[in-house]
Amino acid sequence: MSRAEEVKSALCVLCGQLVTELHWAERRFDAGATGGLGTELGRRRDRFHRTRIVKQVLEHYGLQFDDDWSATSYVLANRKGASELVQNLGQLWPAAQRMAGRPLDPLDPGLLCALEAKQKGQGAA
Amino acid sequence: MSDARANRCPVTVIGGFLGSGKTTLLRRVLADEGSKGIAVVINEFGEVALDHHLVRQVGEQTVLVSGGCVCCNRRDDLVRVMRDLLDLDERGPIRKLRRVLIETSGLADPAPILFTLVTDPVLQHHFFVDGIVATVDAVNGQLQLDLHEESRKQATVADQLVLTKVDMAEPDELEKLVHRLRTINPMARITSAVFGELAGGRLFGDGASPSSLREGWGSGLSAEPERELYKANSSSPPTETRSLCLRLDQPLDWVAFTIWLSMLLHARGEDVLRVKGLINAREVGAVVLNGVQHVLHPPEHLERWPAEDESSRLVFITRKLDPQSIVRSLNAFQCLGGGQPVDANVSN
Repeated sequence: MSRAEEVKSALCVLCGQLVTELHWAERRFDAGATGGLGTELGRRRDRFHRTRIVKQVLEHYGLQFDDDWSATSYVLANRKGASELVQNLGQLWPAAQRMAGRPLDPLDPGLLCALEAKQKGQGAA
Repeated sequence: MSDARANRCPVTVIGGFLGSGKTTLLRRVLADEGSKGIAVVINEFGEVALDHHLVRQVGEQTVLVSGGCVCCNRRDDLVRVMRDLLDLDERGPIRKLRRVLIETSGLADPAPILFTLVTDPVLQHHFFVDGIVATVDAVNGQLQLDLHEESRKQATVADQLVLTKVDMAEPDELEKLVHRLRTINPMARITSAVFGELAGGRLFGDGASPSSLREGWGSGLSAEPERELYKANSSSPPTETRSLCLRLDQPLDWVAFTIWLSMLLHARGEDVLRVKGLINAREVGAVVLNGVQHVLHPPEHLERWPAEDESSRLVFITRKLDPQSIVRSLNAFQCLGGGQPVDANVSN
């Protein structure tokens, strides 16, 4: 049984933000083991990993991406100082496309070349 | 039963081109299954040829949601009818609802139906799409596939294709049609029916397991059919629709995969006609993936693998997309996650 399925809505006690629905990308199977992927620790680990990857993708479009302090939203920003809060990947891509002013396409050869070059650079280092 | 399905009523969508035998199949299925607790939703153009007390008609009124594409339409009429059924079920005038059958019109696109059921704030907690069935006329099917985009779309998004009027079709024509359907949709189960009577297998599952796991889904992705599929694509007239079957031996980085898939569906959702798969995400069981264009069913995280084979299997049916660029892109994102390049066994 997936415990993540049980989390239909939650309220952040600090900022009062209502998280009404867990995005499909953030659900995980959890059999209840401590530190399992469906636990809070696992959720934080996934968020950290997600932020790191998205940051590298959005760099190609001149955008910045970070987890917010409460780990309930993400902060999307551009170099002109505009910023926007997004809750999940479903909200991220339309917002990032608006902010970048051009389509964000994972099949774009330019993006793939940049990501592959980054990978080679990391491999060489 | 998967938790995502517990306490929710299964919905089966039955589509198929005009005159392909949807109603005949439906009548027979209702007679065989026992109609108690089964509600049928038919379109307003359909004949009310069903002797069934729980028949509701819908007008196929679609509402384009803000910024929505063709698939992301909300079917307001369907929302009203489904909520009405829910109300009847909860107030008690009808016997416990155990399944809803939605018969679409011959020209309907099933994607807005899925979008409606998956995104409506009430319906998503009470219903889940158990499977999409499309009837294909064995005599006129080839012509309909040639001429009508709607017919190809119905075949593409189906979990099960039911060939009707097979008793009237020439055997070699039937074989060609089956071959073509396998090319269009390599993951669909193909069965046949004469006067609505299914030859082997059932139209519905028990509602407890994803339709993709019934009848050993994934076994159709062995090496041999893939080669046949490649040949079929190479020799058939140029078509914009292509299928890509991937088998990945190493587990996928789930976070990197979801970033990639959500970005792909955002950018190219209209051209990703179907995505389906069993993913090894380093969890105890498989993750079941099932999407139609922009509409992705919430992936199901299973408690175990349905078979010994724990490799990831992914099928994309796309329009105007280069399969090799999909693999290259998936690879680039997996490497970003710190993983190794995926060793994909590709056929397209």
